[in-house]
Amino acid sequence: MPREHTPRVIGNRVLLTLWLAAAIGVALLPFATLSPNRLVSGQPVMLWQALPGWQLGALGLIAAGLLLAALARGLASRTACWLGLALTLPLLGLTLFALGDYAQRALAEASPAARVSQGGAFWLLLLAAALIAVDALQRLRLALLARALFALLALGLIGACLASDLLAPLSLMREFANQRDIFVAQGLRHLALVGGALLPALALGLPLGLVATRSRRWRDGLFSVLNVFQTLPSIAVFGLLIAPLAALAHAVPWLGELGVSGIGVAPAIIALVLYSLLPVVRNTYAGLAGVPATTLEAARGMGMTSRQILWRVGLPLALPVILSGLRIVTVQAIGLTVVAALIGAGGFGAFIFQGLGQYAIDLVLLGAIPTIVLAVIADFLLQLLVAASRPPGTR
Amino acid sequence: MSVAAERSGRLRRAATGNLTLALLTLLLVGLTLGMSQLEPLFRALFPDLSQPLYSRDSFLNLMLAHIGLVLVSSLISVSVGVAAGLFVTRPAGREFEPMVSSLAAIGQTFPPAAVLAIAVPLAGFGFTPTIIALSLYGLLPVIQNTIAGLGTVPASTREAARGNGMSAWQILWRVELPLAMRVIIAGVRVSVIINIGTATIGSTVGAKSLGTPLIAGLVGNNLAYVIQGALLVGLLAIVTDLAFERLERRYTFG
Amino acid sequence: MIELQGLTKTYAGKRVVDDVSLTLQSGEFGVLIGPSGCGKSTTLKMINRLIPLSEGRILINGDDVTQLPVEQLRRRIGYAIQSTGLFPHWSVARNVATVPQLLKWPKARIDDRVDELMTLFQLDPAEFRDKYPHQLSGGQAQRVGVARALAADPEVLLMDEPFGAVDPLTRETLQAEMRRVHAQTGKTIVFVTHDMDEALALATRIALLNGGRLVQYERPIEMLVDPADDFVREFIGQADLGLKLLSRRFVHQYQRRARLAPETGLERLDEHAWLVDAEGRPSALAGARLDDADAITRVKPEWIATPEMSMKEALSRMVWYRVTALPVVDRDGRLIAEVGMPGVMGIEGDGAAREAAS
Repeated sequence: MPREHTPRVIGNRVLLTLWLAAAIGVALLPFATLSPNRLVSGQPVMLWQALPGWQLGALGLIAAGLLLAALARGLASRTACWLGLALTLPLLGLTLFALGDYAQRALAEASPAARVSQGGAFWLLLLAAALIAVDALQRLRLALLARALFALLALGLIGACLASDLLAPLSLMREFANQRDIFVAQGLRHLALVGGALLPALALGLPLGLVATRSRRWRDGLFSVLNVFQTLPSIAVFGLLIAPLAALAHAVPWLGELGVSGIGVAPAIIALVLYSLLPVVRNTYAGLAGVPATTLEAARGMGMTSRQILWRVGLPLALPVILSGLRIVTVQAIGLTVVAALIGAGGFGAFIFQGLGQYAIDLVLLGAIPTIVLAVIADFLLQLLVAASRPPGTR
Repeated sequence: MSVAAERSGRLRRAATGNLTLALLTLLLVGLTLGMSQLEPLFRALFPDLSQPLYSRDSFLNLMLAHIGLVLVSSLISVSVGVAAGLFVTRPAGREFEPMVSSLAAIGQTFPPAAVLAIAVPLAGFGFTPTIIALSLYGLLPVIQNTIAGLGTVPASTREAARGNGMSAWQILWRVELPLAMRVIIAGVRVSVIINIGTATIGSTVGAKSLGTPLIAGLVGNNLAYVIQGALLVGLLAIVTDLAFERLERRYTFG
Repeated sequence: MIELQGLTKTYAGKRVVDDVSLTLQSGEFGVLIGPSGCGKSTTLKMINRLIPLSEGRILINGDDVTQLPVEQLRRRIGYAIQSTGLFPHWSVARNVATVPQLLKWPKARIDDRVDELMTLFQLDPAEFRDKYPHQLSGGQAQRVGVARALAADPEVLLMDEPFGAVDPLTRETLQAEMRRVHAQTGKTIVFVTHDMDEALALATRIALLNGGRLVQYERPIEMLVDPADDFVREFIGQADLGLKLLSRRFVHQYQRRARLAPETGLERLDEHAWLVDAEGRPSALAGARLDDADAITRVKPEWIATPEMSMKEALSRMVWYRVTALPVVDRDGRLIAEVGMPGVMGIEGDGAAREAAS
């Protein structure tokens, strides 16, 4: 079908939409909230109230640049994308700096108990910066490595802001400072739970996936059982494991001494392993089953033993699919570990549920934000690994 | 295996599948209505508990509240998700497709529990933040699968439809959607199953659901409550999943 | 030498290969052919035991294949299939080196062998060593597949429809190359195809199978001339196989002594005869016209045959000029022999005129 070619006034409608959404959000939502103490809900402070003139001016310049990139009149489209991409970093930096700067100034005049929290407009600006960057990176069709480099740059910027005292006056950061030791411990616990679940899941799942390629009967049975676990709500599995494990620890005392009990780490890890098995098994099976039959026949015809066929042909060709399975389960396990906090396994989820219980929003965020960041980073790293594992001949 | 044997095997599996679904549904309804009849059993199992049966609310109410949460949020997710998926696959919205796809992909890496928690500072406690979190999260698999499902329709099929004089609307309704339906339903299935699980945790932000007795049991160290809640919500999830499996099969062509 | 003795394969009570016996001498190019489901691939795969045989014996140079350790056996036998059989994650060089590596040859010897084979198949090692299969054209990938099969200098080469997935033009090039490589290496080859053209282009022996049974095992020409039964006739008769066969046969194989006409009494001749001029050039043909057996036809330059001409071309001229025989002349245009319908039918010449030609 011949597509009509109308002269385009707008170069990038996605960027324009993001720009408008951010502008409307900033106009309607508070940039920060100021409250006299931790318990009282705060007063909204709009962006133009919070920022001094020069910051507003800088923000205006960035916004104008982005609008130019969106309309792209007289700009080559690649140049416009580069401009948009380049402007996301100052946008990110300015947003973070402005919030910290505002908190510093506001608290200097207020009582020591007063608190400054981030508001909706702040999150919206960060989100807009991220999405504009995603859009530009997609349009520029940069390689995965170049995208990783840009992500690293942005993360470095955020890291620098967190490491400096810039954001320290924020309520969230004060909460963090108070909880620093516990935060680190819970973070490590979170990672330990994820790692502790993934290793057995791989150790069990890879051989089971191999078995699934050998026998159809096994495969059908295995997949339907594992699928049931994927279906069950995590909290239900955690809960249902408590009674049997408690009974087991009671009946076999040395298991109890090893730390097995109805609540805590043991049921968490067991449940996480059960959840992780399906993707590992399914992807191992899919990867191996995806090796062309003619390739396997050639390998056999050349006189390779079954072990040689598996190690030299099957696994190298299946590896990207298997690692994609690992990517799924890693992200999934990071999320499920949050819920495991409800049965006393610890991890970032402990902050979330403690915060929800006390209606302490900062505490909730102290758990939720790092979990999300962890999941996104793990996802990205494993995506890189999947790309790297693709044999050169199949890329 | 011959084609006939393969076919009869598939039919047999479908028949046993239907039977399983019917039995589990019966069990779910029976347990929801008659959990209180099991009080002696729980009393025998947990002799230390003074209150071995959750009684602050009826299980029927909890079940209905849970289903209500999932239903409302899923309706929002499906209508918005399919609409968004359709928009970005039409010529007018194609420019938004990469952005929407990557948002859906990145968003799904967010832990559902964390999304639920983040909804609290935005919308307070109770029904609303749970619905927001569930709808937003449930949206993502629906969008992703709508795009993927429409993408599986071969260009030649579309061209044939156009060549036969169908309008863009007719192509969408008579060709594209029916062919994409199985994949879209698979997305809805993922979305609903995740929502059933997340709605359970919804009780931590103050939304009534089957998670209420479960979490109350965990907090109050009452294992009987935990088992009652977990059994019902687990059954609900399995029954729903099986029902969706049936539905998906109906839209499998060839 | 490969001997199949009473070879039988039974699947679920059905005999998909049924009592096949044949012997292929060393250096021969044997082609297994037949309609799909005739058991040709199964027969091939029983030779390197990709499929276990049910009954009978297979001997390679006198060794019973079932008596050897299976991997060792396969490393002694080259095996080439469609290009998808290349390992996609290995470079061309590593693909070719597969069996030598399994046999743990020293690295230098492997490298030399890889280069040698790639050169044999006209793939410049400098250019192709480090390419991956997906970077090759269909024909190149197929050459690599055959090179890989020959890497460890196997006694026998098995090829299972190796050119099935390439376009007709490339296939003809590959066939020509295969003929050359066969002539150069002298390997014993067993080749499976369903394409009679391919079989005729390559084989020194054709085994035609149907329903698991060996219907005919013969040299190509004999199979064409003397099909064992109606099935063979029908299988060969498809399309214009006869013509294609003729295009690969040449006049010098079929020419016979030309009879010169007597000075007088042409009208009483019981057979056709040639008239020549003073230099020995053919001037006219008495008899042998299709429409008028007694006519005398002047020889025109357009219907003179040469020894190098294909039989297809010769036939074409006979049909066009309505004669059953053509004069065969040497470079000076002198009559040395004639070629006629018996030659077209595949009856070989008497060779009498060859001396005259040389």
